[in-house]
Amino acid sequence: MTTRSIRQQFADTMLEVGQADPRLCVLVGDISHFILQPFAKACPGRYYNIGICEPSMVSVAAGLAKTGLYPVVHTIAPFLIERSFEQFKLDFVYHGLGGSVITVGGAFDYSNLGCTHHCYGDFALMKTLPGTRIYHPATASELDTLFKATYRDACLRLYRLPARSHGVKLSSAVEPGRIVRVREGSDVTLVATGPQLDSAVGAAERLAASGHSAEVLYVPTIRPLDTETLGRSVSRTGRVVVIEEHLTSGGLGDDVLRALAGKTPLAYRSVSIPDRLVTDYGTYDQHCVRLGLTPEGVERAAREILTPQRA
Amino acid sequence: MTANLNSDLRRAILDLVYKGRDGHIPSAFSIVDLVDHLYGEVLRVDPRAPQWPGRDYFILSKGHGCVALYAVLRKYGFLNDRDLEGFCREGGLLGEHPDCRKVPGVEASTGSLGHGMPLAVGIALGLRIQGADNRVVTLVGDGECQEGTIWESANIAANLRLGQLCAVVDWNGSAAQLMPLDDLPAKWAAFGWRVRVIDGHSHEEIRSAFASWCPAPTAQPQVIVARTVKGKGVPLLEGHGQWHHRIPSAEEYRAITEVLSRP
Repeated sequence: MTTRSIRQQFADTMLEVGQADPRLCVLVGDISHFILQPFAKACPGRYYNIGICEPSMVSVAAGLAKTGLYPVVHTIAPFLIERSFEQFKLDFVYHGLGGSVITVGGAFDYSNLGCTHHCYGDFALMKTLPGTRIYHPATASELDTLFKATYRDACLRLYRLPARSHGVKLSSAVEPGRIVRVREGSDVTLVATGPQLDSAVGAAERLAASGHSAEVLYVPTIRPLDTETLGRSVSRTGRVVVIEEHLTSGGLGDDVLRALAGKTPLAYRSVSIPDRLVTDYGTYDQHCVRLGLTPEGVERAAREILTPQRA
Repeated sequence: MTANLNSDLRRAILDLVYKGRDGHIPSAFSIVDLVDHLYGEVLRVDPRAPQWPGRDYFILSKGHGCVALYAVLRKYGFLNDRDLEGFCREGGLLGEHPDCRKVPGVEASTGSLGHGMPLAVGIALGLRIQGADNRVVTLVGDGECQEGTIWESANIAANLRLGQLCAVVDWNGSAAQLMPLDDLPAKWAAFGWRVRVIDGHSHEEIRSAFASWCPAPTAQPQVIVARTVKGKGVPLLEGHGQWHHRIPSAEEYRAITEVLSRP
């Protein structure tokens, strides 16, 4: 289990990559300013705290990309993804330019800050932009690996950095575009992304206690989805539960369904955020409990599709 | 036709719109003298190598004025007659807003207002980061100045002292028809730009303004606020109203052509 902060790793990775590659530039919107000072000092002229004007920060980053640089834009997810959406669409995608969008505060990580600071439609929004890639690294080392492998790709990329890491030790390293099989099973496939891997693994253990064998797949790359690994698993289990801190509409679950449609008889459940705004306050964990994003909630969803067929 | 206005380019714009059955004639007539001067006397560009790394960048932020840019790009050899004949036609390169991935010499795909200016700021910053001395000129509309991103990026450029960047404001009074934001020169000055106000249809004043621009990597950015007239050169088209996005009838086309043909 890693205890290193993903956000600190972001700053450390920028520093390491920036020292090796003079084309890396980092623009932030009034956050992470202090942890990025080592990058700013080591890479003079390539770090800018642009301030509180996210759409312009995105357009400026596109301008940097047009001159051959590798821009990174970074701030709180709703202000970057939702407010600046047209800038991503037109200034990056329409122009065919590549860049890295690194967010914190995805889903309801800023739990007590309320609805204005939540962003759980980011996968859906970015998926409407052709050619974009979406990464959801949920440990420090996953971020480091995924960023280094992809930051020069000629496309727009979202890296959603969760506040909390998952606590699962993976048997193989993450790679862009690949699902990691965390646990083998034969009755149901639990497909999890982000810190919800913990809920999936916890649910698998609870199901095992009552004789159900759950396979757990971990998805650090939302797009492009590794449909091969997914299909292999579900062709054996015929049942799938998708667990994600995202709206039910447009999230990972929709892509899983599309990938599996017509290929195998399928029982499906989604543990995600229903199609309404989250307006409650409380801790991250309290939000998770309310939404069923817990081992118990995932177990419950799995039993809904396991029990009738075993009766 | 007012003496010394470029009637050939205006005639080319008129023909593009009349044949293509789409386009914004008055907006194009408002900026064509400025754009012509830029390509003819200011920008270091090469029509044989539009992507030449040493080129200067021109970003038409008010993308709906692009028929003026198309006519100028034809004049200076980036486009040919066949390209122009494809304007707004299936399979053509040229649309009612410019696409930089299709049109040689077009640096930015604009149309949604408020995008070209911050993109130009990023280009100027990117060039400076890499120690390049290319210059960047962006042309924005005064109506476009109602977009918040114009002022966000004006603030960024001034704070970063992007002296390789020059903004040109096509001050034709469009904003005043909507939610007035005059006095524009004072606003740009307040945002930290060096301001020059000119007649945007006077070759002498345009020439003088650009001749006095001293681009340098960390200088104060320059804005040229150009007083212009929408539809300039043809009284029928001048001003604000129905001609903003209107296509002339055959009779109107003949009448406009006749005005443009007068010595």
